[in-house]
Amino acid sequence: MSAIQEMVRHLEKMGKISDEQFIVEMLKNREHLGSTGLGKGVAFPHGRSLAIKQLSVLFARSSGGIDFEALDGKPTKIFFLILAPSEEGADVYLALLSELISLIQKPSKLDKLMQVKDYPSLIDIFGGNED
Amino acid sequence: MREEFRLLIGLQDLDIMIKEVKDKATSQELKSMGFKLTGLEELQEARHEIAARIPVALLNRYEKLAKRYKLAILPVSGDKCLGCFVKLPTSFFSSAYSHELVTCENCGRLLYILRFNQ
Ligand SMILES: [Zn+2]
Repeated sequence: MSAIQEMVRHLEKMGKISDEQFIVEMLKNREHLGSTGLGKGVAFPHGRSLAIKQLSVLFARSSGGIDFEALDGKPTKIFFLILAPSEEGADVYLALLSELISLIQKPSKLDKLMQVKDYPSLIDIFGGNED
Repeated sequence: MREEFRLLIGLQDLDIMIKEVKDKATSQELKSMGFKLTGLEELQEARHEIAARIPVALLNRYEKLAKRYKLAILPVSGDKCLGCFVKLPTSFFSSAYSHELVTCENCGRLLYILRFNQ
């Protein structure tokens, strides 16, 4: 099972999307446009679809890292999957995407994300304002 | 859900993506975040492949609606069409339609009832 499929399946189980296959197809197409693996071990697969209930972000980590055809050629260890309903404009998810990308530019935040073990500590990383 | 409807929804998802890339402001924003948007031709090729598998009459209907509205196919939320906000007849929610695309009698958009876990 691909990383994308694994993440999408999780969101389907949680009732955030209505059809795994629609979303997997849409995300694969998005990767054809250009890898969302932006380097530094982080990828931001994203997109809009009719089969998405509400704006959702899924955080996933692979300790060994996987080949996601990242721009720097390095394995991807952290994924932020961002999904938005098709009837919403692009602005909402673009703003979220931009915020997450600025977050990982901070080396201390990125280090912490690479180690994070549970949801409360993940939320701490977003909320904490050191550096 | 019928295969042709699945394909049509996939086509709309792809059209949304293609529109984003073609929109200068959106693509500029994505590029400034570091995304490389070099595969537009591949997306258009994928669109072509999906479109070729949809019955012509249904595809034509979609294309016509897509020209008129931002989204030709909409999810149903509550008891209203999200396009024109007209209340849908109760018959619409009978199980017969639960896996179908149905036409809004007021605006003509295609509607799909989303099913979620929980
Ligand atoms: Zn309507």
